[in-house]
Amino acid sequence: MTTIQAQAPPAKGRARRRPKPAHRDNRIAFLMLAPALVLLGIFVLWPLVYAWYVSFFNWSFYTESVFVGLRNFRLVLADPVFWASIGRGLRFSVIVVPAILILAFVFANLVKAMGQRMGTLLKVSIYIPTVISGVIASIVFVLIYEYRQGLLNWLIGLVGFENQPWLGSASTALLALTAPAIWLGLGLASLIMLAGLLDIPESYYESAELDGANWWQRTVFITVPLMRNIGLYLLVTCFVATIQQYELPLIMTSGGPVQSTLLPNLHIFLRFTNDDTVGYSIAAALLLFVVLGGLSAVIFRVINSEKAVDA
Amino acid sequence: MRSTRRLTGGLGVVAATALVLAACSGTPDGGPEGSASGEEVPEGVTEVTFWQQSFTDEENEWYESVVDSYNESQDEVHVTLTAVPGDAWEQRMTAAQAAGNAPDIRTMNYGGVRNAALTSQITPLSDLISAEAWDDLQENVRGSVTVDGEEYAYPMLVEPSAILWYRTDLFEAAGIDGPPTTWDELVADAELLTNDEVFGMRLAQNAPDMSWSTWGYQWNVAGHLPISDDWSEGMATEDYAPLLQAFQDLFASGALPPADGVGYPDASTFGDGQYAMMANGSWAASQLLSDYPDLVPNVAVAPMPSFDGQSGQTTATLGGWTWAVDGNTEVAEEAATFIEWALGGDTENVVPFFEATQFSKVSPRVSVAEAISALPDVDTVNPWNAVIQEEIVPFAQPEPGYPWNVSLAMGEAIEAAMQGTPVSEALAAANDKINTEIANSQLAGTGS
Repeated sequence: MTTIQAQAPPAKGRARRRPKPAHRDNRIAFLMLAPALVLLGIFVLWPLVYAWYVSFFNWSFYTESVFVGLRNFRLVLADPVFWASIGRGLRFSVIVVPAILILAFVFANLVKAMGQRMGTLLKVSIYIPTVISGVIASIVFVLIYEYRQGLLNWLIGLVGFENQPWLGSASTALLALTAPAIWLGLGLASLIMLAGLLDIPESYYESAELDGANWWQRTVFITVPLMRNIGLYLLVTCFVATIQQYELPLIMTSGGPVQSTLLPNLHIFLRFTNDDTVGYSIAAALLLFVVLGGLSAVIFRVINSEKAVDA
Repeated sequence: MRSTRRLTGGLGVVAATALVLAACSGTPDGGPEGSASGEEVPEGVTEVTFWQQSFTDEENEWYESVVDSYNESQDEVHVTLTAVPGDAWEQRMTAAQAAGNAPDIRTMNYGGVRNAALTSQITPLSDLISAEAWDDLQENVRGSVTVDGEEYAYPMLVEPSAILWYRTDLFEAAGIDGPPTTWDELVADAELLTNDEVFGMRLAQNAPDMSWSTWGYQWNVAGHLPISDDWSEGMATEDYAPLLQAFQDLFASGALPPADGVGYPDASTFGDGQYAMMANGSWAASQLLSDYPDLVPNVAVAPMPSFDGQSGQTTATLGGWTWAVDGNTEVAEEAATFIEWALGGDTENVVPFFEATQFSKVSPRVSVAEAISALPDVDTVNPWNAVIQEEIVPFAQPEPGYPWNVSLAMGEAIEAAMQGTPVSEALAAANDKINTEIANSQLAGTGS
């Protein structure tokens, strides 16, 4: 008891002196954060605030802009093309995102299971699409999908199928875009998955093996739960990136045929280049922001990440 | 933890949205896409910036030479030329306008002049260019750049947008006597000519290209445009059904293939031998003559067929390019002076352009047209020139001046019909879109 009492005053004294170094730490932290915050302010927050301001005007680069209140938002909300593009973006994401997550998981497991040399080779092979420009990927896939000279039609011709207008038909064009989208997104997702896999202590697997768990049981009861946060992160980032994809449809199909590949960003982009008052494009971009933010929030709420953190 | 993750996710979404907004931000002049001249502007000299849409090397060389000649001819104004690829034009121009650094002079097609004038994007030039230069223009072409009594751009060239180019050797092999004179014949011939190597017909293959390349057929089949003259009411009526049906039949038969990867104005796939017939503008002549000389003896031209089989009807519009001065420019006088010097002055400045493009385009200036017709070798250089001048140009209509979204609605209807949507449904959708555009852009009463 006396020992405790004897120790108390110095502890109190240290507690009194603590604020000073803590304050210094905060200052350093803020200083180091400052460049990022300034850049974020200039290139993200201010444009966002300004975009909201502009969205209430019929903006003109040549005459005085006219305040129109919520008219631009009403036009966008009443535009079936905007809603169709959102729906199309969701359909596109529903194919692309799960495919990326599943394939990335498989590749990450393969890399982990392989020897170092083969693993490195596979890692590099998977990562290559990530550093290839979307423009070049688009051009390569256009050549693959060509009607008469394309690789894909040549391949299906070998097994007796007729040439298909992959990009020329409204029924196949969106599906055709999913392949390059998955290919481009796979590399980064695989590496992030691999990093997550390598973070799981080997002792968990060893204990499970001793208890007689097979590969499937180890995957379901150890790997998947511990990869939950990685999966959630990839799910949201892949979803946001995929629904906003615009390079592929811009270059491969220009949004056609019959707007079947007109994804939301491409719709906004094409309207922007053909919009004398700009207001519609800005309002549509902001509404897309709201839609994406809302859907991301839903994903976060549905898939709770905290249990995995505690585990 | 949850709140941190929410914040991270939220910021991710904000950053992603910033990318959307970034598309709306300004971009600097020049850049990898364009070819800015890069020369230094002498001190004390007024700079006039000029963006031209880049099409062919021969045209680009003429632009450079005429700008250089003007810069050397005097020491008060320096014109700085930038060639911008056609597919990047709209994006770069809108971004430059947003950033307040649009070029002082830009090339502009006839169809864009009225809308640009009504929205003050371009400056009236009536008083800045001499009456002599205006009076030298053909009356109908002058009308295409005149809005409410003021001229807003100076015409550079006109060219019919739709001509039937066909392979005489393939026609002969298939036992077809000559070019089709009706759209029914066109569809039948195209099906007959289609085999494993060659498609029967090439038309515009996507909605944006269909929007403008079919203006002539739209005139022909319906006798009117899909919006009333005062732009107050959509008129995409059943009158257009035969046109949409023709696209649908051609595509269904396999004679009209899915997109071949190049835009309507590009004749390269025809030059490569992939087609027996092609609809294209007169500009295709210079591409075929330059890049496919071996094919030239087997290629002939004819007017695009009409729907009732009568000749001498409108099946093409007279499109082409003008030079316009930006509505915000501070050097309008200097810009107009240069335009007059290059396009409206000495014919020697502009005739080389038509020579370089192998007479595949027509000058709207009477004096220039006379100078060109006096040249001894026009028909030798361009073997299709006589047919184009005599059988197509006289019947072509000027490009319509209504906003692009009206044209696009019709282009989308034709594309939808081609892809199998019932023709009536496609036309009804087009009419709805046109009416929505009239309401949204408050077009009623602003027509020509």
